[in-house]
Amino acid sequence: MGQNILYGIISLAICVGYFLLVDHFLMDAQGLDFWYMFRK
Amino acid sequence: MGLVTRKKVFSIMALCAMVGLLLFPVIVSLPSLAIGADAPDAAKKEEAKVEKGRDVYYKTEGIVVGAPAPKTVDGPKDYPRYNFESRVLLWFANQQHLYYGSFVLAVPIFCMVVEFMGVVTKDKALAKRYDQLAYDFIKISLTAYSLTAVLGGILIFTFLTLYPAFFGYLSSIFRPVMHIYALMFVAESATLYIYYYGWDKMKEGFLKWIHLSMSVILNIIGTLLMFLANSWIGFMMSPAGVDEQGRFLGNIWHVLHTALWNPLNLHRILGNMAFGGGVVAAYAAYKFLASKTDEDRAHYDWMGYIAMALGVAFLIPLPFAGYWLMREVYAYRQQMGITLMGGLLAWLFIIQATMIGILFLSTNYYLWQAMGRMRGAEKYQRYIKYLVFILACGYLVFITPHTMVMTPAELKAMGGQQHPVLGNYGVMSAKNGGINVIITTTVLSFVWYMRGNKVSTVSWAKFGNIFMGVFFACAYVNIVGLAIYGYYIPANVRVGLSVPQVATTLSSLFFMFALNSVMMKGAKQTGAIEWGKISARSQYALIMLATAFTWMMGLMGYIRSSVRLFWHVNEIMRDNSPWAYTHTVGFAANMISFNVLFFWISILFVFWLGSLAAKKAPAGEKAGVPGSAPQPAGSH
Repeated sequence: MGQNILYGIISLAICVGYFLLVDHFLMDAQGLDFWYMFRK
Repeated sequence: MGLVTRKKVFSIMALCAMVGLLLFPVIVSLPSLAIGADAPDAAKKEEAKVEKGRDVYYKTEGIVVGAPAPKTVDGPKDYPRYNFESRVLLWFANQQHLYYGSFVLAVPIFCMVVEFMGVVTKDKALAKRYDQLAYDFIKISLTAYSLTAVLGGILIFTFLTLYPAFFGYLSSIFRPVMHIYALMFVAESATLYIYYYGWDKMKEGFLKWIHLSMSVILNIIGTLLMFLANSWIGFMMSPAGVDEQGRFLGNIWHVLHTALWNPLNLHRILGNMAFGGGVVAAYAAYKFLASKTDEDRAHYDWMGYIAMALGVAFLIPLPFAGYWLMREVYAYRQQMGITLMGGLLAWLFIIQATMIGILFLSTNYYLWQAMGRMRGAEKYQRYIKYLVFILACGYLVFITPHTMVMTPAELKAMGGQQHPVLGNYGVMSAKNGGINVIITTTVLSFVWYMRGNKVSTVSWAKFGNIFMGVFFACAYVNIVGLAIYGYYIPANVRVGLSVPQVATTLSSLFFMFALNSVMMKGAKQTGAIEWGKISARSQYALIMLATAFTWMMGLMGYIRSSVRLFWHVNEIMRDNSPWAYTHTVGFAANMISFNVLFFWISILFVFWLGSLAAKKAPAGEKAGVPGSAPQPAGSH
């Protein structure tokens, strides 16, 4: 069970990081700011 | 010379002849070198006299070499007619030609893919089955090919008879490539017949590779044909290479390469492939339902699955190609985009969304049913209800209109044209979220299907499974999160969110398919796939898939054509016929339904003709058809 939780946390870290990078860089490539709402 | 060597020489000669046929139209269209040598001097002499014009799209200057677009008037000279709406007759002829054209361009591509799979697979029995399947595919398309040519002829005669001024103008603009199109068609016919009739003679070894190369040439010719035909509609929507009066400026590449040509090419290739897959899958479904033996049922079940999988492989990226096309439409003329998606034709997009949703729902339903023929796939059955829920949510958001058609009393009761709650789902931010959720769920269903009867044996299987689950969960959160985020930021930033949403869906598709393939390498099988042992309901899902696709193609063609409103050629040549208005949604829907019905009745006739040929075929031809014996797991 503990191992499953560990695997889950590692997977979550990888996936969240990956999707944030996708969101940030693909918006950036279009000259847009992904973090617009948080900066304003 | 031995028989084998002679065969090789003949097959290489046939292949060279095909390459020659492919290049022939291009060579014919090259300007003569002798003329070219004199051309500069002649050009200098003429320069003083010639009139120059500015390209309406490229903004470059060019020498006027064509007549201006005719200013037509309503009358027998420009618009001769029968006692019937000419536009409807043209609509019918055009749509039928397009249906058959799409079918006969798509099926040889399937055929090439399946034949290639047969050549590279190491399992000899499976290779033989793939080869038989590819042969079945091409056999279906052969009769349809003749009908396509006949319908093309009817279309040209309809144009010449009912719209002579417009067709004359279009022909004058495309004159440099008109004969290339005709010669390409000859090349396509010759290649197709050599490819089909050479099947038995070139079935092994080096000859098989030559045969496969022929299919590549056949498909290059077919694709070029389609690109040329697309350039006409591209020119009608977003003209280029002419001045503001519609006079040709001598650069045919500008006329071909209009603003919308490339998006149209991509959209049509993917659309044709998905449509072709749907039609072949429906054919297989019909044959499955009519089969009397287990052997036939197994064969047609397998055929239906392969056709459906190939079709859906092209259906998944199709909405993204559609977005690109719409984006280019907006970039070309913003008003055109607004007419399409926010104005006169917006309601048709709601119908389109409904049809797209039906396509994906049918695909998912088929896959869930198909898991029933695998022992071991039961473990996923209890989770399907959650997928149904996710799909239903995505679908309902995707089809919600921005505004409602209401009576004044209803409008007053609701307090405006937008529903206070549902109105929020009628915007692109929500719709992008809806369709991406639907596609991601379809990817998930495919992954479940591919691992249905397998258990991974890799040492990191547990981590792989958890990672896969977390990846899909995060993909859903990201898609829905971006959709919600879109409500809180300005429109110019919001419009960019569709790109990461699409990237999320495509990441799920590519990464999860790749991860699943690696995990399932050398996997333990919990049971074989029992081809033929699938519910009849699944076959009706395939028929539904094909019918919905046919209807949607008709609808999208109508939308694309209608966006020109009262122009034959947008902003260049005005349509002055009495039918230069947009039909009501109801009339358009009836017309599309009639076209769909006609296509399916006529293609049933084509299938029937094909079955007559099959009955006359020698008994040995059926060898290699997959039997009811368990199939290798690798075959899906």
